[in-house]
Amino acid sequence: MKQRKTRITPLDIIVAAALLAAGAYVAYRITVGLHYKWNWSAIPQYLFRYDQESDSWLPNVLIYGLLTTIKLSMWGTVLATIIGVVMGLCRASKSLFKRLIGRTYVELIRNLPPLVLIFIFYFFLGDQIMSLLGVSRFIESCSMSTSSVLAFLFAPPSLFAPFMAALITLALFEGAYITEIVRAGIQSTERGQWEASYALGLSRRQLMRYIILPQAMPRILPPLAGQFISTIKDSAIVSVISIQELTFQGMELMSATYLTFEVWITITGLYLMLTLSLSLIVERFEIYMRRSEA
Amino acid sequence: MRTKSFVVAVAIFVVFIIGLVGVSFAGKLQQQMTEESTLEQALRRGVLRVGMSTFVPWAMKDKTGTLIGFEIDVATRLAKDMGVKVEFVPTKWAGIIPALLTGKFDVIIGGMGILPRRNLKLNFSMPYDYSGMSIVANRELAAGFKGLEDFNRPDVVLSVRLGATPVDAAKKHMPRAQLRMFDDESQAVQEVINGKAHAMVSSAPLPAFQALKYPERLFLPIKGTFTKEPIGFAVRKGDFDTLNFFNNWIVFVTAEGWLKERKHYWFETNEWESRIR
Repeated sequence: MKQRKTRITPLDIIVAAALLAAGAYVAYRITVGLHYKWNWSAIPQYLFRYDQESDSWLPNVLIYGLLTTIKLSMWGTVLATIIGVVMGLCRASKSLFKRLIGRTYVELIRNLPPLVLIFIFYFFLGDQIMSLLGVSRFIESCSMSTSSVLAFLFAPPSLFAPFMAALITLALFEGAYITEIVRAGIQSTERGQWEASYALGLSRRQLMRYIILPQAMPRILPPLAGQFISTIKDSAIVSVISIQELTFQGMELMSATYLTFEVWITITGLYLMLTLSLSLIVERFEIYMRRSEA
Repeated sequence: MRTKSFVVAVAIFVVFIIGLVGVSFAGKLQQQMTEESTLEQALRRGVLRVGMSTFVPWAMKDKTGTLIGFEIDVATRLAKDMGVKVEFVPTKWAGIIPALLTGKFDVIIGGMGILPRRNLKLNFSMPYDYSGMSIVANRELAAGFKGLEDFNRPDVVLSVRLGATPVDAAKKHMPRAQLRMFDDESQAVQEVINGKAHAMVSSAPLPAFQALKYPERLFLPIKGTFTKEPIGFAVRKGDFDTLNFFNNWIVFVTAEGWLKERKHYWFETNEWESRIR
């Protein structure tokens, strides 16, 4: 490919100027038209606060919210990947029954607004499943050390059951999309590969394990990584069922302090910090995959 | 003749047995109800789970992330008097009733107004507090507005918090005005400050505090409150032991003067303001 020189054309200048002017106008409207008293100095203390008693800096509500968001998306991703791989294999299966299960799951979840799904799951199914699994009994019977480990990995005992309900909902929701990614990966493998495997007398299991999945993997991984970023963004939905993640903590903070815009902007920054850094990692990863393929 | 008296005897016997079973069943049921009451469960668990929603100055987080406020004081004292620990479950206001009904917590102590419509779904304790609606308006848009009737016009936009008593109050007193509903009080206030809504209807003392904070943008068109609402603890239906305890606890702390003293601190002073900012 011929290396092209980057030249700034007059059109570029016009577009850039127009964008700048639009940005300046918005900024002007916000400062003049909004009649809003900015108070940025109050924000840092909600990220970290200085504790006089222990003479140290401690995280405050927004950072706790961010940590909960990270935990939620991390475990949500793990669980969703498991669900997605199993269901994806079902979707690509030869058995009609398995295909039906996979199809029903995907169509049901993908065709419902996530908000509705969360409410239904939290208020109706969540309780039944949680009591069936005996989550709260398990938490109450935990020793101090176990519960502190659980608090570190998931949520403190008092919030454990709702956290689990949110986690399962998020995983089920994201799982549907991962299912489709996995299915697409499997089915995109060339027909010839399938036919050749059958001709060689490989069993279905061997075919999947040695022929199809190794080839599907490089195709699955990039969109899968993109889906992980979606999980972080989608985790904000569970604020409606009062999981104390970043969005919820921010909204609570707003109702207590009325620092509406400062808090929203801070939250935006925190989310971007998470998702942008993950995007960069994904990009690197894709370049690496492309190189190793070539 | 003999068969007839025999039949009568059998009938009496059967009725007697049924009665006996009924009595013992009723006894058992009573015992079961006592054991299953929220109160007993909280005592056994050693924790009273209280559902609440952030609402200044009823419940809010201070600088250290600890919950403070009038309701928080009430719930903490209640749990202390029960000899159990208190656990607050911050919940979005719009979903607080379903959350109580599905057992996410034991009781709502969150400034919930006792409304007949709500009472059909929940049981309320006797009122431990009275709150009223008041209104704060935009200086430009609502210039010259002096009473509620000035706001009762189709071109007037009122902002309120979703799923709360202000909605009912606004519909009742200003039926012709347009309502714009928000999830949080802060967004509703911002709408008025930005001049997109004429006024905001909310429980006192919030409108007064906002008018003090933005004197050049907001003002109070009417002095004081225009409604009076009883505020009670909300519990699930069919649990009279818990209700009885709560009622008598309220009588107890009212007699002590404690409730009044707390109410004074949170609603009539602003000593606590420095704790949240």
